Parts: sequence; structure tokens; C-alpha cells
Amino acid sequence: MKTHRFLTLSLITGGFALIAGCNRTEPTSAASVAGATAGKPTVALVVKTLNNPFFLDMQKGAEEAARRFGVNLVVQAADREIDVERQMQIIENLIERKVAALCITPSGSREIVPVIVKANQVGIPVVIVDTRADEKALVAAGGKIATFIGSDNYDGGKLAGAFVAEKLGGKGHLAVLEGIPGHETGDARLRGFREAVAKFPGLKIVVSQPANWERDQGFNVFQNMLQSNPTVTALFACNDLMALGAIEAIASAGKAGKIVVVGFDAQPEARAAITKGTMSATVAQFASRMGSTAVENAVKLLAGEKIADFTPVAIELIK
Amino acid sequence: MTAIPPAAPLTPRAVLTLRGIRKAYPGVVALDGVDLELRAGEVHVLLGENGAGKSTLMKIISGAVACDAGEVLLDGVPIEIRGPRHAQAVGLGIIYQEFNLIPHLTAGENIFLGREPRLLAGVIDQRALLRAAQKILDELGVAIDARSVVSRLSVAQQQMVEVAKALSLNARVLIMDEPTSALTEQEIRELFATIARLKARGVALVYISHRMEELFAIGDRVTVLRDGRHVGTRLIGETTMSELVRLMVGRDLKDQFPKQAAPVGDEALRVAGLRRNGVLHDINFTLRRGEVVGLAGLMGSGRTELARAVFGADPIDGGRIFVGGHERQIGSPRAAIGLGLGFLTEDRKHQGLVLGLSVQENTCLPSVGAFSRFGVMQVAHESAATAARIAELRIKTPGPHQRVVTLSGGNQQKVVLGKWLTTAAGVFIFDEPTRGIDVGAKVEIYQLINQLAARGAAILMISSELPEILGMSDRILVMHAGRIAGEFTAAEATQEKLLAAALGRAGLHAA
Amino acid sequence: MKPREFLAHSGRQFGTLVGLFALCAVLWALTPHFLTVSNLLNVAQQTSINAVIAVGLTFVIISGGIDLSVGSLVAFSGVVTASLLQRAVPVPLALLAGLVTGLACGLVNGLLITYGRLPPFIATLGLMSVARGGALLYTDGRPVSGFDEEFRWLATGEVLRVPVPVVIMIVVYVIAHFVLRRTPFGRYLFAIGGNEEAALLSGVRVRLHKTVVYGVCGLLSALAAVMLTARLNSAQPIAGINYELDAIAATVIGGTSLLGGQGSVVGTLIGALIMGVLRNGLNLLGVSSFIQQVVIGAVIILAVLLDTAFKRPKR
Repeated sequence: MKTHRFLTLSLITGGFALIAGCNRTEPTSAASVAGATAGKPTVALVVKTLNNPFFLDMQKGAEEAARRFGVNLVVQAADREIDVERQMQIIENLIERKVAALCITPSGSREIVPVIVKANQVGIPVVIVDTRADEKALVAAGGKIATFIGSDNYDGGKLAGAFVAEKLGGKGHLAVLEGIPGHETGDARLRGFREAVAKFPGLKIVVSQPANWERDQGFNVFQNMLQSNPTVTALFACNDLMALGAIEAIASAGKAGKIVVVGFDAQPEARAAITKGTMSATVAQFASRMGSTAVENAVKLLAGEKIADFTPVAIELIK
Repeated sequence: MTAIPPAAPLTPRAVLTLRGIRKAYPGVVALDGVDLELRAGEVHVLLGENGAGKSTLMKIISGAVACDAGEVLLDGVPIEIRGPRHAQAVGLGIIYQEFNLIPHLTAGENIFLGREPRLLAGVIDQRALLRAAQKILDELGVAIDARSVVSRLSVAQQQMVEVAKALSLNARVLIMDEPTSALTEQEIRELFATIARLKARGVALVYISHRMEELFAIGDRVTVLRDGRHVGTRLIGETTMSELVRLMVGRDLKDQFPKQAAPVGDEALRVAGLRRNGVLHDINFTLRRGEVVGLAGLMGSGRTELARAVFGADPIDGGRIFVGGHERQIGSPRAAIGLGLGFLTEDRKHQGLVLGLSVQENTCLPSVGAFSRFGVMQVAHESAATAARIAELRIKTPGPHQRVVTLSGGNQQKVVLGKWLTTAAGVFIFDEPTRGIDVGAKVEIYQLINQLAARGAAILMISSELPEILGMSDRILVMHAGRIAGEFTAAEATQEKLLAAALGRAGLHAA
Repeated sequence: MKPREFLAHSGRQFGTLVGLFALCAVLWALTPHFLTVSNLLNVAQQTSINAVIAVGLTFVIISGGIDLSVGSLVAFSGVVTASLLQRAVPVPLALLAGLVTGLACGLVNGLLITYGRLPPFIATLGLMSVARGGALLYTDGRPVSGFDEEFRWLATGEVLRVPVPVVIMIVVYVIAHFVLRRTPFGRYLFAIGGNEEAALLSGVRVRLHKTVVYGVCGLLSALAAVMLTARLNSAQPIAGINYELDAIAATVIGGTSLLGGQGSVVGTLIGALIMGVLRNGLNLLGVSSFIQQVVIGAVIILAVLLDTAFKRPKR
């Protein structure tokens, strides 16, 4: 019995030392907190998830800026993009750690508000990146953010809509793959897209459903859409992952090249698909620039400089 | 001592010889210098109370545990048994009480499990497998199709599949642990015929059983163990049952069945016209206070089904049940318990006990409601009741919080009895109350039955052991094919009469 | 109970507790941010939701069943409560409605299992999907958010300097422990999980108690849903995905056997705390979320492995 306990203890202890040790030997890694040196402030970047290339780009940009400005950077994220509770826990734990500034890409626009208020209470400035925190909820809770850095998703949606209209000559049946409902980023993209196509009476959105930002769901949902709406000639997906999933569905339906597919985020894989011709266009979001701008702004804040409420990051259509 | 000297002249050669085997577990010496010699073509009976060391000895032979000291000789050559697979490989087979068969595979597949004949590319050669399996089954003289699925076979047939499996491994020593405990009389006769064939093939059989009368039917020699020691080996023909019992228990058991008649009182339970379609037909009987009624019958005659129906565990299709003279609807065991019935099931591990719970938790399980006030259990009451049961039943346990899985069979059975004593039941149904427990514990249970009867309880005792039924009952009912086929007073009943009724050959006796 | 008997009864929990303390000691050595009052309260708060769900699951698992629907019930009861709050229904009534929703769904699970004779895995798998779909339908897939301070007190309030979620967790555990050890219902759960047939023949109303235990599990899921909604100031129809796995993990680390018949809520609490402390500590150390998943999985395997490895020779 006793040996049992001590074995448990030593195994857990050993495992921990090992993990901590791994981190220490990787000073370039984002997770280099254990090696934090005194004097350098620590800036934290919390993204939605680290298994989406978009956020990996953001991480790269942030790391580059952190090196440039000589600050420590911690990057963390939940395992699942939609896990708002887990993101909240991560931020709470970073507040406990007394990081100097927080850059956050909220998993939920409204769900992020309580933890912003917590950061406010201990005086940690919050920089919101990419996805806006819900304005009304923030005001209601008395929380405030230092700045928002991001592209105007609404404009991106409009760009995509105009492109589709041009490509189809102003006539055709459209399909839309939405992100998670109630999500600011996706809603803005969708709004922009809808307004752009509304100008063309010949264009009709015949089906629009969420695929929750995920690639496999993009595949499944679009496959079903093709079954029920065989007349669809163009698809707008609110992110590239869903678009990439949909491309596979198009290929397996034997319709490759017959449907205009527009994504969002300009991920490397999406760019490759455009070169190959399986995808028509994507809206470039420059995640890496968002990451670096976020860290840059955080550093400025810590130095007591004034910064703008909103720093737009350019957006462009890649064909 | 009339023990056969180990070097008895001109006996068949020894296949397996164990010398000075010792095995200790923390706190207990299970075997202390035990000798055993098994000869080709003999049935060697191993006797001993539970805890005497029989199972440990068998585990050593079958390679399940290693001994601490002593030597094992196979054909006179020292051998170290390295594990169960090694034991099988050298021809030492064992058939446990609980079979190790895969229920959804066929008999043939089970026989060759893990050693299937292969075609090229590792594909199983199903035809060769079936052919070989059928050959073994046929040689055993049993009518089993190698293609039949094991779960559809009877217990006796499954046992034969186990035997066939051992033979397919060229077993030269075959251990059978309580092989008849779940068999009918007819099946037992068939088993004995098979054992005779195995003997003729030169297999050395070790036969473990609590049923003394069987030993005399098929045994050649008998070795008795007591408290981990070898107390004697006898030729069956030169010993008597009382000598063996004395060797096992270490003292004389004056009376195997210490029956004491109690004054018979009012009607406690009456069953009229009870019917369960396809299972029970027009059952009528009465139990009186102070009376022990034996219920005999072959396996499958409906004895257990009758008990379950009366206790509310199975639904009934007709008939009336009177408890204490009042007609009652018994829709569930809970209702039965509320009316003062207690049911000791034949299968204590699967139906009688929650093995992972403690002695106290098991003892109080049917009485939890009675031991609660405002939905909270009164621990003091529970402890007091459990302490009382441990004392009066002489349950050997380190304490009330010991998990029952660690207790011996006899003590587990006492815990089941304790459950029903705690509910203060007045009518007891005992289904095989002494199955698989040793002689000493049996006598204690008989004495308890006497005490209960003396206190005015009514007892229905179901048993497959006719001597037990004859020895302990005031009155005897015999079931056949779902009906009461005979009723006898203790005075008129004989084994022959009971057996004839059980086989459905008796003219109905007037009660 | 004498000390020796106590140890025999609670040895497993004791071992898990040693593991928890060891973990804390290591974290204390590795980071100055771990062992502070505010961080420990933080961990307790983060653990509370999983811990409350895990109590219900522990009950179900002790009775020999399983409930996969808890995560979906969190979402469903959460959106019911939230939508009522938004329609200005008084807070106590909205809470009651949420709890009743969870209880009712749990009882449906129970009835499907007892009277419908479905295996628990299948019944709760079905309800997992039904409740998730129900939550999405009910809200049209959108989160319901923004509540007043009265409701948010459940997440932000304090009682004697202790955050309300932690108080709720402690109260739930005290009651659950008492129910399991001192009431007939608790005893019957062990008996049913250990040997259902023997329990039935001992007069235990097996179907009744099995139905009730799933109801309790649903009720506790709903309580967790209320806590989660208050904490996020929002109820999401996609909330609680994989919560059943976290709760099962806490239960198993705490020494409850998935085969039923044995276990304790004290162990489950420690198990949930181990998971909470692990996540918190790995965050504080800045370990990536990918490594965190590996570590938590390894701890689950290790806990059960050691358990079985050290139990075996005793048989």
C-alpha cells in the first residue's frame, strides 16, 4: 500500500520535472515562461486554438514582435476553438501569474467579457485581436479594453461577395457555410457578403448553414447541401478550413471546377488550392501582422504611450 | 495406520509425484510438507475441508502458483512448472468448477482455442479443426457436435468440452474440481462413464468433491488434507466414510445430520394452485411453524423456480399464496420480505451476496429500511445486529467491515443466513444451503436450521443431496417436471422412493 | 471506526490525496504563483463545475451505470435558465426551471434504462444527442447572454471570502458524501452496482433507485449549467462538449471502479482537484495545451494502472 503511494508521488513528480525541464531547454518556444528573466515584462497572447494555421501565423507574428521589443511572450489556447470556459480558465491563470499585458482573441464575443473585467480589476491591460468583444455586454459589465486590432471582417465579406458576383456575371444560386452562430467574426463576414450580393437581383443565396469553423463539418455540410441544392454554382465559406472541406465534397461529387469557392483567412493551403484551381479566391487577413501589431501595442501601453482604440489591419482578396 | 506405503509394490507407475510441498501466504501456511503420488489410470480423490489446502495444491500442479519448497517429479524426473501454459504443455490439465469457455464460440473452436490448425497465410483451417475436435469428442463417448455453440450446451456438455480440450493437449493428469456440483443424476452417471474411459486410456485423474458417496462410486485411492497437511492416503476399498470424515475433521462427527424435531404449530405458508406457464403447474403445499420441509427433485424439475415464484422474484400466472393464514399478493422480493419471508439462494456469489461489500453491509442489506430513521441509517443498530450475527453464526471474519469476497465459502454462506436472521423472517426458503461448503460448516448450518425451527420458524429446504433431505426434514416434497410428484413423511421416506418420485415413476403418494 | 478500519476503507482516497499534495508541492517548487490564496481559490473555482458534474457521475458509476449525456444536459439546462432570465423571469424561478429540466432529462435516462431495458451507454448516448439538438433548436444555435448582477452573484459573489461556486461545490460534496454513506439510497447504490440480482432478492427496489440516480445526475448537471452560465455571463448551446469525459476522468482518478459497486465522492473531489491543479499549474508554467492533453491522459492511465497493479496480489 505504502509503496503504491510513493510510486504515484515520484512518478507524478518526475513527470512534472520532465515537462518543466523540456520547456526550459526551449528558450525560443512561445512557452518559455519558466525561463523568464527578471526585468523583462511578460506579454500573454491567448488565441482560440493552436490547431488552426491562422492562429499559428498570429503566433509567429507575435513572437517576431516580442523579440524585436525584448519582451517575454506566452502563447496559450484551449484545445477546441469553441471552448469558451477553458479559454476563460487560461486567462484567469495568466492573471494569477501577473502577466504585464493580455492580448486575446476571444472564443466567444460575449463569454469573454467576465474575464476582461477580472483583468481590469487587477490593472492588466487587455488588447483584443481579430474577434471583437461584444460592445454592449462589455459596457454593461463595466469592462474596458485598451484597443482592438483586427481586419474589418465586414469589408472582407463585401470583397468576397463582389468577387462572386463578378465571377458569375451577376446570376446564380449561392451557398454559404457559416461559422459558429452568434460569433462576431463570422456574423460580420456574413453581413458583408450578404449585402454585397443583395445588389445583384440575379444572385440568390439558396442555402446557408453553420459548419462551426471546422474542416470536416465543412465537408459534411456542403456534401448535404449539394444533395439538396444541385443548382448551386458558388460557395462562400466564412473561413478557409470550411472551404477546404467543401472542396473535397465538390470533388467527390464530381463537380470539381464547376463551383466557385471563396474562403476567408488566406491560409497557405488555401493559397495552394487557388494556384491549383480547385478554389477561386480567399480573403487575406494577415494574421501574422495582427499578432505583431498586438504585441507592439501592448509594449506601447506598458511604456505609457497612448494608442488608438482601433488599429485596422489591411485586408485583400487573393485570386 | 493403514496407509499404503509410498513404495507399494507393483502398482501402476507414478505419473506425477509431489514431495514435501510447502506454500505460505502472508499470515497463513496453506501447505506444509504435502506428499501426493498420482498413478496412471487411477482416480485419486482429494478430500479436505475448505481451507485444508486442496485448491492451493491443485494450483501448484496446474502452474497457477509456484510452491515455496518441495519437489515435483514427472515420470520420476524433477520438473519445475513454470506457469499454466507450461503445465498444459507437459500434460497437466485442470477443469475448474467455473469453466473457461468462450460462450459464443463453438465447441470445436473452444477445444483448439489459441492452437487452431492453420492454412497458409495464417487463416484458420476450419474443416481440419472441426474434424479433429469431433474425433476427440467421439473418443470421449459424448454426443456433442463440435459445431454447436457452447452457450447452447448444457452444463454437463460444457464440462465435456473442457475435458476434450484437456485431452487435445494430451493431458496425462486431469484434475476435476467439484465436477458434479451442477449436474443432474443422469449427467453424473454419464460423467462417471467418461471417467472410466479416461482411466482406461491411462490418464491419472484427481477428483475433488464434497459429496462423499460419489467417492466410493468412482475413487481408487483417497488422500485427505487437513490444515495444509497430508493426514493420510487410503485405498477406497479399505476405508469407510466415518474414517474419512474423522481424518478430515480431526474428530468424530457423532451425527452428520443432527436433526432435532421441534413442536409443529400453526400454518405459516400455504400455496394453492400456483402456476407459472411452462414452468410450474398446480403447486399445492403447506408449511407449519416449527417444521422443516425438504424439497427434492432433479435439476430442472422446478424447485428453484418454485422458490423464486413464492418469493416474488418471478411473476406467477395463477394461484394463491397465504402467509400466516392471510392471502397475500407477493409482487416483488421486497413485498415477500415485508411479509416475513427469507430466501437463501442456491448461488450465493451471483444472487446471495454483494461480494465487494462488507460483512456488515451484506448482513444489513434487506434490513436497511428498518435500520433507518428519517432517511438516515442508524449505524449503531447496524453494528449491533452485525456483531450479534457474527457471534451466533460463528462467522470467521477479521471484523464487520471485511469485504465478503475474502471469506471462505462456508463463512460467506453464514453471512447470507445472517441477512435473513436480521430481517427476523418467520418463513425461510433455503435453496441448497450447504452446497460447496465443508463438513464442519454444514453441521453448523444444520444446527442453525434446528434452532430456527425450535424458535417457531417454518423452513423449506431445497437440496440435491438426498441424505441431507432425509436427515434434516420432517416432511419431504418431491418435484418432477414442474409439479409436486410426491410427498413423504420423514419416517416413510427412503432414497429409493424419493428418487423414483423425482424421476416421475412413482404413483402419487397420499400425504 | 477504528483507525485501521478507517484506513482499509479510505486507503484509496488517502493515496489520491497524497498524489494531489505531491502535485501541489512540485508546482510550489516550480512557480511562485501557484501557492497563493488567490490562485488556490482560482483553482477551486475552475474545478467546481467539473467537480459538481462528477458527483452525479460517481453516483451513476457506483450503481453500475454510465451517463454520457451530462455535457449536453449542461448546455440544455443552461439555455433554458438563460432564456427565462432574459424574459425577466425572477432568478429563483429561472434557476428552478433549469434544475427541473436537468432532473427531468436525467429521469428520462433512468426510465429508458430501467423500464425500457436499454443499456445505460446507449440510452444516455441517445439523450446526449437529443439534448444537444434540443439546446441548438431552442436557441437557434446562438448563445443567450447578458444577465443582471443578482444571477451573476452565483459566479462572482463570495461567502466569507470564499467564491460562491466553491461554496456550492463544498455543499454538494458534503451532502453527497452523507447520502452515499449514511442513507439507504447510498447503500443501495453500492449494492445494485455490486450485484444487482442479489440486491433485488434482498428487497431493494432496484428500478426505482436506478431511475432516481440518473435523475440526480441530471440535476447536478443542471446545477453545473447554472454555475457555468453565471460564470460566462452567457449560455451556449454548444457548451459542455466533452464534459462527460472530464467528469469520468475525475471519477476514475478518484478510485471509483467503472465496473460499479465501489467508489467515493471524496475520491472524486480529489480527482477533480488533481485535474484542475494540473491544468492550472501547466498554464502557470506556460506549457502548451498539446502537452497538457498528453499529461492529463497520462495521469488518468497512471492512476488506474497503479490501482489495478496494487490491488491484484491481494486477491
